[in-house]
Amino acid sequence: MNWRSKSKQRSDGEKQNTAGDNYLKWRKQAQLLRRGSRRTVPVPSSLNVDDILSSPFSDVVRWIRSMGSTNKMRGPNCWTARVGSFGLQLIWHFIHFIISTCYFVLGLADAVDSYVISSGLLKKYNDLNLGKLRYLAIGVDSDEARQTSKVIKLLQWLSDIGMKHVCLYDEEGVLKKSKDAILEKLSHVRLFEETDEKLPLDKKNMNLELASPSDGKEAVAKAANLLFTKHLELKSATEDQGENVFTEANMSEALRALGCSGPEPDLLLVYGPARCHLGFPPWRLRYTEIVHMGPLKSMKHGSLMKAIYKFTLVHQNYGK
Amino acid sequence: MPRHVAVIMDGNARWARRSAGHEAGVKSLRELTKLCSEWGIGVLTVFAFSSDNWVRPKAEVELLMGLFERVIQMELENFMREGVQVCMIGDSLNLPKSLQKLFADAEEMTKNNSRLQLIAAVSYSGKHGIVQACRTIACKVKDSHLELEDFGERLIERELETSCSEFPCPDLLIRTSGELRLSNFMLWQLAYTELFFVRALWPDFGKAEFIEALLSYQQRQRRYGARVS
Repeated sequence: MNWRSKSKQRSDGEKQNTAGDNYLKWRKQAQLLRRGSRRTVPVPSSLNVDDILSSPFSDVVRWIRSMGSTNKMRGPNCWTARVGSFGLQLIWHFIHFIISTCYFVLGLADAVDSYVISSGLLKKYNDLNLGKLRYLAIGVDSDEARQTSKVIKLLQWLSDIGMKHVCLYDEEGVLKKSKDAILEKLSHVRLFEETDEKLPLDKKNMNLELASPSDGKEAVAKAANLLFTKHLELKSATEDQGENVFTEANMSEALRALGCSGPEPDLLLVYGPARCHLGFPPWRLRYTEIVHMGPLKSMKHGSLMKAIYKFTLVHQNYGK
Repeated sequence: MPRHVAVIMDGNARWARRSAGHEAGVKSLRELTKLCSEWGIGVLTVFAFSSDNWVRPKAEVELLMGLFERVIQMELENFMREGVQVCMIGDSLNLPKSLQKLFADAEEMTKNNSRLQLIAAVSYSGKHGIVQACRTIACKVKDSHLELEDFGERLIERELETSCSEFPCPDLLIRTSGELRLSNFMLWQLAYTELFFVRALWPDFGKAEFIEALLSYQQRQRRYGARVS
């Protein structure tokens, strides 16, 4: 493998964001498959050959198919091929059964665990110490964020647990568009404004911040613009090479001036199929704990409690 | 296979006190480099030392700087033989002069190697990297090497230190020792990177754990190839 020779095939000066490209291609494929499932095409009882062809066993399956299609074969070779084909299909079904059973058992265990936690039978989850969790962020896959009812239910759970400051993020700004629908259903939730930071919240109220990529990389680019303007002003006055203007503190200040500088979350829970942070504002992720919770449609109250409880046990050294 | 794998090598001090943990960590790094090279992964970035680590006890910091020097000296011949290109990202001004020179020499000697690009993040901070990119752009405009009206995301991405690689954004991030955070590592570049957090401490991270991480990455590629329901 020569990564350099592969890179020559690309246009000069163009660096490839393969992680981002791969993610977008994968999401598109996922959307196409999901749309297909909505047509309620009955699932054949036999194995889905296209799924198998995309699996590690593709070579084996192609060989099986070729065995089946060689009707012209005669005599002992034909019988041997048919027996071999049958045997391999049997092995494939058996492995599929074992793996499906394992996933079923794991899913069942997870559901039972979640039920036990939600029912209050385990004392340690009843009285969560939220002192360390001052700011919680939730990242939601944009397709799933369109299920506003699920988002509202999640916020209700967080409010019941006692969370006071929550940031909701998705990579297409869907949640920002659903702002009114969310606030209409949750009367005790109010939108977070930076000026309100220091106002005390009573027991029931919760501050909600809605974020999107415009608060992340786009905001950093705009903040850099502001600093650049300041740098140009110093151009003629001093020989400053930017060291005094382009600093982390000034960048934070510029983001604040743009209204894009919310607190760094202590914990980010990601709901979606992909185990990544979906482009959450990078300037705020320095020491944030990130936990992948699975798809939003399968969210469970017990899993949420467990994730928050585990966070309360974490000890951070912050580099020391 | 992912084209770019990034690793936060955490847990050396917990594995063993004094230098033993870090020495054992070097063996894990050696093995991972070899596996990446054999399995066709183009870029491996390792988080060796954070800018936040300078606050550690002076003795530990000196031990680590000495270890980095020894590793580069010992492994340079292997890198040349195995076709590994060495790059360093981070604020090198804080490093001892001897280490700065070693890194510069290693980069120069291995610049034509093409089998694997090994990027060592030393004295590195994700936030500082973003600020540094903005500063570079500003200087280029001021010196009229670059004409632009506005800063944009793509311009910042092009000036980040990781643009020394053809694949600046990792496809897979592995963090050992069970911690679930980025710790100021590649904050800009990790937006869509598969995050794999493993309980094993870095000196215990071997082939089996790496295969598990790669399978996790590949399952994400195939997650919607499962039976529809």
